[in-house]
Amino acid sequence: MNKSILPNTAANLRNNGRLFQRVTLFVIWAWLIIFALIPNILVVLASFLTRDEDKFLALPVTIDNYLRFVDPLYVKVFLHSLSMASVTTIICLLLGYPFAWLVSRTSKRWQSFLMLLLIIPFWTNSLVRLYAVKLIMAANGLLSSALIGMGLINEPLQILYTEKAVIGGLVYLLFPFMVLPLYAVFTDLRQDIVLASKDLGANKFQTFWHVILPLTTPGIISGVLLVLLPAMGMFYVADILGGSRNLLVGNIIKSQFLDARDWPFGAAASVLLTLTMAILIAAYYASSKRIGKTDHNEVA
Amino acid sequence: MTSTTISNAMKWFSRLYLTLIYLVLFAPILVMVVFSFNASKVGYTWAGFSLHWYYELFSNEAMIQAAINSVLLAVVAATVTTVIGSLTALSFQRYDFKGKSVLQSLLFVLMMSPEIVLAISLLALFLMIGIELGFVTLLLAHITFCLPFVVITVSARLASLDNSLLEAARDLGASEFTMIRTVLLPIILPAVLAGWVLAFTLSLDDVVVSTFNTGASFEILPLQIYSMVRVGVKPEVNAVGTILLGISLVGLLISQLLLLKKR
Amino acid sequence: MPKNHMPKNNIVTRRRFLEMTGAGLIGLTGLGLAGCQQSGKNENEAAEATSTQNAPSTKRGKVVNVYNWTEYISDSVLKAFTAETGIEVVYSTFDSNEAMYAKLKLMRNSGDYDVIFPGTDFVDKMRKENMLEVLDHNKISNFKLLNKTLLNAEFDPENKYSVPYLWGSSGIAVNTKRIDLSSINSWDDLWLPQYKGRVMLMNDLRDVFSMSLLTLGYPTSTQDPNHIKAAYEKLATLMPNVRTFNSDAPRMPFMEGETYLGLAWNGEVIMAQDQGMPELDFVYPKEGVIMWMDNMAIPKNAKNLENAYTFIDFLMRPENSAIISEEIGYGSPSDAARALMPPKMANNETIYPPADKMGHALFRRDVGDKTMALYQKYWDRLKVDM
Repeated sequence: MNKSILPNTAANLRNNGRLFQRVTLFVIWAWLIIFALIPNILVVLASFLTRDEDKFLALPVTIDNYLRFVDPLYVKVFLHSLSMASVTTIICLLLGYPFAWLVSRTSKRWQSFLMLLLIIPFWTNSLVRLYAVKLIMAANGLLSSALIGMGLINEPLQILYTEKAVIGGLVYLLFPFMVLPLYAVFTDLRQDIVLASKDLGANKFQTFWHVILPLTTPGIISGVLLVLLPAMGMFYVADILGGSRNLLVGNIIKSQFLDARDWPFGAAASVLLTLTMAILIAAYYASSKRIGKTDHNEVA
Repeated sequence: MTSTTISNAMKWFSRLYLTLIYLVLFAPILVMVVFSFNASKVGYTWAGFSLHWYYELFSNEAMIQAAINSVLLAVVAATVTTVIGSLTALSFQRYDFKGKSVLQSLLFVLMMSPEIVLAISLLALFLMIGIELGFVTLLLAHITFCLPFVVITVSARLASLDNSLLEAARDLGASEFTMIRTVLLPIILPAVLAGWVLAFTLSLDDVVVSTFNTGASFEILPLQIYSMVRVGVKPEVNAVGTILLGISLVGLLISQLLLLKKR
Repeated sequence: MPKNHMPKNNIVTRRRFLEMTGAGLIGLTGLGLAGCQQSGKNENEAAEATSTQNAPSTKRGKVVNVYNWTEYISDSVLKAFTAETGIEVVYSTFDSNEAMYAKLKLMRNSGDYDVIFPGTDFVDKMRKENMLEVLDHNKISNFKLLNKTLLNAEFDPENKYSVPYLWGSSGIAVNTKRIDLSSINSWDDLWLPQYKGRVMLMNDLRDVFSMSLLTLGYPTSTQDPNHIKAAYEKLATLMPNVRTFNSDAPRMPFMEGETYLGLAWNGEVIMAQDQGMPELDFVYPKEGVIMWMDNMAIPKNAKNLENAYTFIDFLMRPENSAIISEEIGYGSPSDAARALMPPKMANNETIYPPADKMGHALFRRDVGDKTMALYQKYWDRLKVDM
């Protein structure tokens, strides 16, 4: 009854706002703590435990799991995985940068359409798409048959079950993740700055190198992060296209958890992968700070 | 004159480039669709048009159920994620509170984490709590990994929002909740919906998280396919992929028609 | 009037486009949630019918809990069993011997399953660890119809704990369109330099090492670290030839045209021939063949012991064994069953090799955890050194 008489006092307004705010923040905090923070802590803890046949984890706390990684065997897998992921990232960047720029230059109506077109293939699960990729890549497959039919080559291509195939698969699946942040950055790119650069006499290359590139660097770095790390974890690409030979760090983690049931070891692998990510993110922060500084100086 | 020919050449070159890339992106999809009608049992040769694999598919109860489960999961996960994610983006934009940067960092880390790290960490959590793996655990996992993407999509829109309209609404006496519901939401709705589409896409496409966080009681498509192809190539896989794609496209079409009708 | 000429659908602003997308998909959400209840129920019914669930139904009594590989039995035989005996079959599946073993160990008394289908090395391992019931041969009358050469093997002397179910060999599969069949008769042929990048191996550590051990003249179940080291070193020289490892469907790399020869199961070759690659053939190498066998056994403390015997004996009937063998493509251990098969199958040398080709053929035996750890170490090294 009282509420209807004084609905608009400042106190009332604040209270209503606060309730909504409280509820919202509670939900977010709870979700992130339960499903983001705690699970990662569990993994770190697990990596220091010992394997157990029945319960997966047992008490003797140990750093053995990490020591196993010092074995040149695993260092090799890690480095090979990193190199495959890096090549994937570079290819995505080289192809994706001009792609994003070109899309951002088209008319508004085309842009939405083109971006949607980029997403539609994902509405077919990536496993199904990879089997189609296999159909194309195989020695008996479509690509070889087409090229032989056209007389361009004599012997079928040997792509499948090689490193090339895995990289190809990774690029195919991760390309949009490179494009999305780049596209965002290109559409935000202030045309007046680019024009100013031209007015000041810079040619196309100089404009690109000194103006466009630095301004789009945050997009590049986001794209790199969104491709490089997931690439190392996508075990199913290595399984299907790599012939069980070109293993990614993700394959080790998966086989330790699901096949060998050595959870502490798998957890340690996972922690190491996360550390790699942390290092890269730290580099991201450092470089964006640096860019911020240069920005401030030049565009002021 | 030279500059116009160069710019024309540039135009054609850019069109060619875009077309080529889209062709490569869609080639496997086309192959999948075309070969779902291939009469041959083995994938590699064309043996004539046939609906055989669709018949096979429809008598394969397990696969149909898995496909339905996958779509269902994607829809529910996208919806819940959009709600939580939009609220999160809103809070970051409108409120200042202790630990805001911690939350933002957590979200950032979540987005950059390779899916496999997220998947096994959640597996560890679920086992520790003692919850049985199935639809619920998979749903929670999907929401978690889609969340950062929705937050970013909505945040981007909020950042360029004109606050004066919102302040006006509040001055006029609307409660926070009412203001958000009647003024803010309609303005940012396109971004919210874009977030939904993104979450839906990510969920439907997922393989890694699904491998680790579901149980025997809730079979989803990627695992079904994995276990089927282990015993031999099954062209029904192409059929199910085509149908999934078809459903999504039909949904898109329906939405077009619905909105045209509204006008 | 000009208004009517406005092209409505051409101008799609980003906002409108997203509105369209979103509204339609929200509509789908409504449908999806409504269907949720329905599909949940159907899910459970389907699950019980196809029975990949592991919950044993002991309430009904007339039940037998079977634990086997996926797609490794004939549906018609199962149905016939229930029709004749009234016993319901609850069928659960595993995808590796290791997984089956781990599951049995987890269920402390192994009592949840009545009939299991382990490989020879796991029969060996489990009988030593007291995980299996001693079989009462009086209750399996069809035992006498089995081929004697498959019985009383070292992994289970006198078949105290197991009876054969299906058997086969791992030999060399050859694409005869690419390679002259007569030129391949030894495991060593895989090492020839002209096959660089064309060899397929199965993803099976024991089989691959057995192959190498056979070429060196060592027993395949050796536990001597020196033998194993020598085998490893020889295998390391094979790696440049190996294109891929595949145990899921070993015939696939051949059908894809990626590999021309390699280690594979004979049944896979038969399947490939059936599925459009008649040029794939199977060779029994002269150093010796790697034999495998899947067996039926009863875990200790099985709850439905009598039903387990009934089930096992039923499967061993010649007509049923013949059906299973024909459907799955591997060899039936029952001579009587073979007599019932069409000659093309019964005399197919790929499935049923003549005695002279079976030199040095031995079933896989358990080598103990310590040796397995050694094998695993070398195996990982082989896989990574590319």
